[in-house]
Amino acid sequence: MSTYWPWWAGAVGLAALTVGYTLATDRSFGVSGAWDRVLHWRRERELERTEEEFADEHALTAALVKAGADHFATLAAEPAPPHQSHVEPSSGPPDEPSAAEDPAVTRQRPAPLVTQAALLISIFLGGLIASLASGRFHLRLDMGPGFRNLVTANPVGMVVLLFAGGVLVGFGARLAGGCSSGHGLNGCGRLDPVSIVATATFFGAAVAVSFLLWKVI
Amino acid sequence: MRTRGGILLANIVTGLALGFTVTSIGFGDYAELNRMFTFQDPRMLLSFAGAIVIIVCVFALLRVRRTPGRIHAGVIPGAVLFGTGWAISGGCPAIPIIQVSSGYLPALVTIVGIVVGVRLCRWARGRHLRIDSGSCEL
Repeated sequence: MSTYWPWWAGAVGLAALTVGYTLATDRSFGVSGAWDRVLHWRRERELERTEEEFADEHALTAALVKAGADHFATLAAEPAPPHQSHVEPSSGPPDEPSAAEDPAVTRQRPAPLVTQAALLISIFLGGLIASLASGRFHLRLDMGPGFRNLVTANPVGMVVLLFAGGVLVGFGARLAGGCSSGHGLNGCGRLDPVSIVATATFFGAAVAVSFLLWKVI
Repeated sequence: MRTRGGILLANIVTGLALGFTVTSIGFGDYAELNRMFTFQDPRMLLSFAGAIVIIVCVFALLRVRRTPGRIHAGVIPGAVLFGTGWAISGGCPAIPIIQVSSGYLPALVTIVGIVVGVRLCRWARGRHLRIDSGSCEL
């Protein structure tokens, strides 16, 4: 008898946190993306600073354009009533809100770097709380009987395979543009074709390798 | 919640919930994971698939905006590598973190591997792999 959650509780839990995050931030979260940004924090910070400068420039440009338009409208629109002196709705570009107000622009900007680091640290704390609360926390130098029986019982072999597996996970997830949280929960939840293809592919590969480990190796 | 502080709070709450939930489901347990991938025990598979079904329904009801990504050249090879690594090490990018927090100290090696893999991928994409992933960066 498994002491883990029943399937429906797990489904509700994973769905609740994904939906909650999306509704709160209007973004998707992805753990491999968080790793990528945190590990390249110098470059990401530079990009954030550049973005902030551009955001300020946009605001400055918008203010200058508005001031100029007001000035010339006052000069040119003497015969017209004052309330018609501004840009007509049918002419020129449509009103553009500033970058800070435009939800589409906000969505396109990546989450701040510090929030990505917070996500990774919080995952650790959440896991620690769960393992302590359930009484499953136990410091050990192996990966448990499952790994020992199915993969290797040799400590050196274990270290080599865990490292190689980790490299494949890190490289593969970033090459595919997401992992089980980004593509799997967030992307498939939005019925995004690229996420459906990626999730089907990585599950298929994991199934094939797991059967090999179980039945052949 | 769309300010910097709001996003930070959302990430902390989501990270705590994600760590708690995947640990409680059993994703950190290699034997459970292998039973899922070999269909000996559908419990975890149903958790994952059930979550996706719920999310799809809620997003459809709330009309959450879709931002479809492009299926670029890296998706399938990357997903194959990722799935292979997941089956071997028992860890997707979040799982080794909760394995360490459950006391599996060798999972630190998996984390080192992920660090190397992520850095290697960005290096290779910048120099050798001409892959434009468009907006598909999760």
